[in-house]
Amino acid sequence: MSLNKAGFETIPLSDLDMMSVAERDALPFGVVGFEADTIVQSYNATEAQMSGLDPATVIGVPFFDAVAQCMNNFMVAQRFEDEPEIDDIIPYVLTLRMRPTKVRLRLLAAADTPRRYILIQR
Amino acid sequence: MTDMSGEEQLLEFLYACPVGLIECDAMGEIALMNPHAMQHLLPLAGARNAGNLFDALERHAPELRGIVADFGPATGRICDGHRIFVDLGTRRRTVAPKVLACTLVRLGPDRLMATLSDISQQVAQEDRLRQADTWFATLLDGVSDYAALTITADGRIATADPCFTRQTGHAFADVIGRNLTDLLHTDASGGDLRLDEQLVIAARDGWHLQEGWQQRANGDRYWCQRLVVARSSGEQAPASDYSVVLRDVPRREEAAEDVRRLLTCDHLTGAANRRHFGQVMQREQAHWQELRQSLSLIVLDLDHFKAVNDRHGHPVGDVLLRRVAEVCTALLPPRGVFARLGGEEFGALLPRYDNGQAMTLAEEMRAAIAALQVETPHGPLTVTASLGCAALDETDGSIDALIALADERLYAAKHAGRNRVCHHKACAA
Repeated sequence: MSLNKAGFETIPLSDLDMMSVAERDALPFGVVGFEADTIVQSYNATEAQMSGLDPATVIGVPFFDAVAQCMNNFMVAQRFEDEPEIDDIIPYVLTLRMRPTKVRLRLLAAADTPRRYILIQR
Repeated sequence: MTDMSGEEQLLEFLYACPVGLIECDAMGEIALMNPHAMQHLLPLAGARNAGNLFDALERHAPELRGIVADFGPATGRICDGHRIFVDLGTRRRTVAPKVLACTLVRLGPDRLMATLSDISQQVAQEDRLRQADTWFATLLDGVSDYAALTITADGRIATADPCFTRQTGHAFADVIGRNLTDLLHTDASGGDLRLDEQLVIAARDGWHLQEGWQQRANGDRYWCQRLVVARSSGEQAPASDYSVVLRDVPRREEAAEDVRRLLTCDHLTGAANRRHFGQVMQREQAHWQELRQSLSLIVLDLDHFKAVNDRHGHPVGDVLLRRVAEVCTALLPPRGVFARLGGEEFGALLPRYDNGQAMTLAEEMRAAIAALQVETPHGPLTVTASLGCAALDETDGSIDALIALADERLYAAKHAGRNRVCHHKACAA
């Protein structure tokens, strides 16, 4: 369990980006990956299980408009627009399956990596 | 499209819904909500509990709790499109200040549904339409409704027409040579510009239009649109005299007053609400930019108020809030506005007050609040407040910086031991 926790807090963006779909699915926390246009490219099994959505329907849609409007504010979405380099963990409240749920988010972005990630830990 | 279960489809629909949907109990504890609702609620909640609708909105719409509590019927629509004004200042000039509309429906004794949507663009558009409307009304209405005058640069009447007599009750032949300001009795409490101030702007911009209450010779009030246009004899010469057009705009006073109260007052305390406060602040900022008129702001937060609610319950807390609004409003100068800005936070906006005057008033408010006593079953209850004040001159005309500075001083007053006013860097008890 403590290993998992360390993974959420410490896994580097580059490692995450190089993982296969199956490897990301095996992670115990939610992982969402998208590029500057916010179109979802990666949506792992843990996140799908928490949200109740099928990754097949989420991949290809604009993340902050269609799935995660709750993050479409200055606290999350705006930061990806303003900051080229982010590695930050913030407490947040999501509405997984329409229930207010306290989570921790880790926001990851690097200037040299096109894909950005949000990690979600319940 | 892939095969999808009905539940998944429903979830997808709710995740993507561009309107906030919330279901909560009578105390505001949220059972269900969609992401759009959280998008707005979480930033407003700040350090407060985003899982409770009333807590999350306590800072920006403290009246909601009371509106729900006061709603009699067992089921039905409690409010429809109730406006929550999020921004007091104008953070970014290009972006319309954020306004949310909240609709609340009671479904049962312990079940509420709420919707939240962002109507900032709509509100900005309404404002533009209202301005245009004022203009068109002035341009298009029957010419016979106008009183037309010519006045000199120092405000003396050179010519007036019979309509001036009909509108104001002053015989037009007798007013030649008199100062128009002395005849108009413009209602100063509304914060309208005085005639001489309008002349300054008209001399610079060519014209100035404003509306406000004015008095007829017999003392009756009427709503008047007043247009001042500069006239110059030569091409480049400064204005030698001015045309003034007065238009009597009939209003159904009672209805208008009701609407005005609904739109500008806080439900619980009767003080002004955030919306009105924000509007007056912007109007006064414009005056500052045009005429460098001083403007001061006092922000005031009751000390340990949460403990009052916890120990004595919300009804006693509400009485205290009303009394605070009462004593502070009574201390206001004619143009001042006292508003409830959040749960136990109030603000006083003081047009034409400099730092020193604001400081004196803040100290009077502090003393008046400390002297309040509310009877409770546990004995008399007293309260104190911490206050911060700042002036627009200090922030070079920035409203956002003015609010931030006054807030900063309010917190300095809290840190220095509460029940005091903080102003500049020094804090005085």
